[in-house]
Amino acid sequence: MANARTDLMQGTLELLILKTLAGEPMHGYGIAQRIHDAVDDLLKIEDGSLYPALYRMEERGWITSAWGVSENNRRAKFYKLSRAGRKQLDGERANWERVSQAITRILQTA
Amino acid sequence: MKAVIRSWFRHFDRRETEREIEEQVCLHLELLTQALLQQNMSAKDAKAAALKQFGDVEQIKAQCVTISNRNHPALRALKAFLILVFVVGVLFRVLGTELHVTRVGDISIIVAVLGRLFLYVRSMNPSSFLSNPDRTPLRLNDEPIRAYDQRMRTPVERLIFDK
Repeated sequence: MANARTDLMQGTLELLILKTLAGEPMHGYGIAQRIHDAVDDLLKIEDGSLYPALYRMEERGWITSAWGVSENNRRAKFYKLSRAGRKQLDGERANWERVSQAITRILQTA
Repeated sequence: MKAVIRSWFRHFDRRETEREIEEQVCLHLELLTQALLQQNMSAKDAKAAALKQFGDVEQIKAQCVTISNRNHPALRALKAFLILVFVVGVLFRVLGTELHVTRVGDISIIVAVLGRLFLYVRSMNPSSFLSNPDRTPLRLNDEPIRAYDQRMRTPVERLIFDK
């Protein structure tokens, strides 16, 4: 069976990042690993695509960043969800559920 | 005082932003390579696989720098100020009857135009001047690798020629 390669829209990646950061602040590699572990092989995401998304989200005020020390004692930029980010996550989650319900309903009709 | 001015101008320094992004990307690639090494890959294969999984490094860095610099409040304030200077210059030029007033208008217009031009040029990515034929991507496992370093070397060339 051929591997299904699903193109991920920009907004979806941001939703995944918001959800990942809801638990704790993380650096870029940590976010990438958490997303890979969660989606397994269902979605193919290039790790590098996270960084423009993180910069966009910081520009919008959904996340904040601060330099810290990584697990291998290297300087790393940690990203944290802001209050606006939590609000955005709740809104996006509700929107996603609404859209997926609508599409499921359409697909189930004969 | 110098430190305050320097920190303010840091926001317009594209190189500072590039250094920050470079640091993050390097750390990411290092951690990813370490994880792949634990899967019994050779060092060379792990580096290549890490670069492949990461994607086009230069393109990503360029995108991050553009995003980081485009909407900074200080930059927006400066752009608004330059527009104001331009408008004031035009008004002085059009409505001024005395020579020194119209000259002030001319100078204001020139300063505003040069200022905007300077900001535009600062925001440009040098690699965007390269045409596509200048880039001859190598292939690894039948897939093109598109990540280039400062010397326009591909990851495989870096693996081969770097010690």
